[in-house]
Amino acid sequence: MSLLKTPAIVLKSRKWGEADRIVTFYTLRFGKLRGVARGARRLRNRFGSALEPFVHGELNLFEKRGDSLYRITGADIRDSFAGLRDDLPRMSSAARMANLVGAVTGEGDAHPSIFETLLNGLHVLQSGHDPALTALLFQIKLLGETGFRPQTDHCAACGDGHGRMAGQFSPLAGGLVCLPCARRDRDRCLPMSAGSQAFLQQALRWAPAAVTRLKATGQIRDELEAAVESYVMVVTGKHLPPADFLSRPATL
Amino acid sequence: MGIDNQGLLAQLIRELVRLPGIGHKTAQRLAFYLLKTEKDEALRLADAIRAVKDGLTFCSQCRNIAEGELCEFCRDPKRDRTKILVVEEPSTLYAVERTGGYRGLYHVLLGALSPLDGVGPADIRAQDLEDRLKQGGIDEVILATNPTIEGEATAIYLTRLLRPYGVRISRIAYGIPVGVDIEYADEVTLIKSLEGRRDL
Repeated sequence: MSLLKTPAIVLKSRKWGEADRIVTFYTLRFGKLRGVARGARRLRNRFGSALEPFVHGELNLFEKRGDSLYRITGADIRDSFAGLRDDLPRMSSAARMANLVGAVTGEGDAHPSIFETLLNGLHVLQSGHDPALTALLFQIKLLGETGFRPQTDHCAACGDGHGRMAGQFSPLAGGLVCLPCARRDRDRCLPMSAGSQAFLQQALRWAPAAVTRLKATGQIRDELEAAVESYVMVVTGKHLPPADFLSRPATL
Repeated sequence: MGIDNQGLLAQLIRELVRLPGIGHKTAQRLAFYLLKTEKDEALRLADAIRAVKDGLTFCSQCRNIAEGELCEFCRDPKRDRTKILVVEEPSTLYAVERTGGYRGLYHVLLGALSPLDGVGPADIRAQDLEDRLKQGGIDEVILATNPTIEGEATAIYLTRLLRPYGVRISRIAYGIPVGVDIEYADEVTLIKSLEGRRDL
């Protein structure tokens, strides 16, 4: 049994039992963790709004041997990201970011760069940047940091670095593919123009703080959104709610 | 010797484990209690469950729990029919009703939007609420969804959906619970209570 203290970002929080919550965090020191907060839904609880999704705070945990769930004993807010709660496009984009972190990381596997990338992404979202574009750039950066970096230097299917590239992205292979490979897997490849390829390479190379200077519109944005959506589905094995969930014209 | 996995007692334990908040040990304790208790008493529980499932439904107007087509509030001619208070679940409706401070009608969404879990407008009773406004006669819609990310998403969505109908749309206030010291309030609650301050 031990006490832990770490900066953390709330990824998800769900009701449990009479008045408890089970909360999933991404922590700076221990990676993704899940904990139970006893009495968190009661009017007078010690957590306040610190366990709401997207909140960045300082977390006190109690580890019980043989139990995968930590006991949350305290949480202090550093940044509530209240601005993400007042706007559906920002909220949906933040949810997409939190969902992707939850889906591509394992429990107890610490990667401070993932924590910093998520924190930076939430700050950028709150500062008023285009929510869907911010979520797109975040997803590209996160995939790059978690071992799922989209392949752009050589064919993702056969590894050939000298053949003619097809201008096609294969979600199954995890990147751009050469002409013969694209022909073989024609039905499952997505078109990716030279402009989209250059954007993807820059997004992967640039530092998280600088990447928001990248702008994508029209065809480039459509191609990248389609490619990232399909690739995320292959990587996570499930369909995550999109960044424009609740803000699409059909739902308003 | 363990409990026979295929036996009647194991079947009861399996059913009890499906209830929210009931783990295997608790289910086992409840099953043994029911086994030891008088037959009449145990069967009263079974009868009550059957009666609820056979006799209760959702109100065709507000989606609250009802014993007939309409719930007790929609049937009551003394209620103020110009106001609708919107809640996520029937349990919230009864919490509001216990205060005795609200005499209007209700609308139960039977859920809340969730951008994290992919719960969209088609999954809650938002369209039914819009249909009630289309019929006219409503002056105000009070949004009493929970102050969680799901409740906020639902309130923002409903505000956009209902604004074209020209009715007053209000949100229940956020603030410091009565009887606590302000210094212990978290920053979000404190900011929201300052934003929602009123003149005296």
